[in-house]
Amino acid sequence: MKTFLTAAALAATATAASAHYGMIIPSDNMVSQEDGRSIDLTLSFSHPFVLDGMVLEMPESFSVTHGGETTSLLDTLTEAQVMEDAGYSTEYRLERPGTYVFAMTPQPYWEPEEDAFITHFTKTYVSAFGDDEGWDTELGLKTEIVPLAKPFAQWEGNVFQGIVKLDGEAVPYAEVEVEYYNEDGSASVPSDLMITQTVKADGNGVFTYAVPTSGWWGFAALNTAEEPMQYEGVDKAHELGAVIWVHFEPWSTGGME
Amino acid sequence: MIRTLGLAFTLAAALPAAAHDLRVFASVTGDTVTVESKFSTGRIPNAGEVRVLDASDTLVMTLPLGEDGVTTFALPDGAADGGLMIEVDVSEGHSDYWLLTPDDIAHGQGTN
Repeated sequence: MKTFLTAAALAATATAASAHYGMIIPSDNMVSQEDGRSIDLTLSFSHPFVLDGMVLEMPESFSVTHGGETTSLLDTLTEAQVMEDAGYSTEYRLERPGTYVFAMTPQPYWEPEEDAFITHFTKTYVSAFGDDEGWDTELGLKTEIVPLAKPFAQWEGNVFQGIVKLDGEAVPYAEVEVEYYNEDGSASVPSDLMITQTVKADGNGVFTYAVPTSGWWGFAALNTAEEPMQYEGVDKAHELGAVIWVHFEPWSTGGME
Repeated sequence: MIRTLGLAFTLAAALPAAAHDLRVFASVTGDTVTVESKFSTGRIPNAGEVRVLDASDTLVMTLPLGEDGVTTFALPDGAADGGLMIEVDVSEGHSDYWLLTPDDIAHGQGTN
């Protein structure tokens, strides 16, 4: 009989099997006018399935892009505990309808276990007041997943597609790690191979993943920077991650209002 | 829920299901209300009617849809306390609303 491992058991024994993720999780990603005018955002660097946090230093940048205009929100961040480690949070008022893209560039994270630095260029998309204009916005980050499917308003079971880009160019056969944010710890796996799923993009840098259940899913396309970084005077690899967080909705049978 | 803030806008609950692809947004700058209407395709409706109701569901004014789908009017007396319901009809089956709350108005006037 297959033994299913819970998040708590995995956190204690198998952290190495789960992937690192920059995370930006908003309190709502489809905000209607009845929901209010503001959302909360939580920033962290974590293992989202096993709910194991790492320290997120003050990011190099944190911004919102709406209607082609990008505004720094770095000054609005306040320290917060996320998965029992240091992260940040903020509140943001949505002034107008449309898609808001929140993006974080963290400071490079030295990971001794991997003998490498990690920088995850992380983003998430929020639709305000029933308007999805701008859902396919490309920010022009160093590395980025450009969504081909709307990065909100998705059902569980839908496929998600995106193009992996590095320096503005598609990355053929890029490796993309996919992980579920096991927020309430209820999800379990038959093998720690299932914590982080891996798909490869096609020759045009386009990847596809079918999401099995509702909730937040993180997609991380990983590449190595051409320029190494130095740690104690020695060149070390620098992993560049393009991370996007997308929420998938449970299929609903409640009927129309 | 903004809709439960004691505003007597009974139509609010019925309109979303009737609205198709029109999108209405209203905001306040100083003492001016601006209503913007567009279809989900991004196209601008070329004609329509804007109805403004107060917190007691009384019709305050009716205005034609302006050029570029934008209609402006002066903030009515008392609106800052109770808010306004703004309904836009552009043709049968294409309608939407925006509930301009007292908080929206205070925000637009820079008083909150």
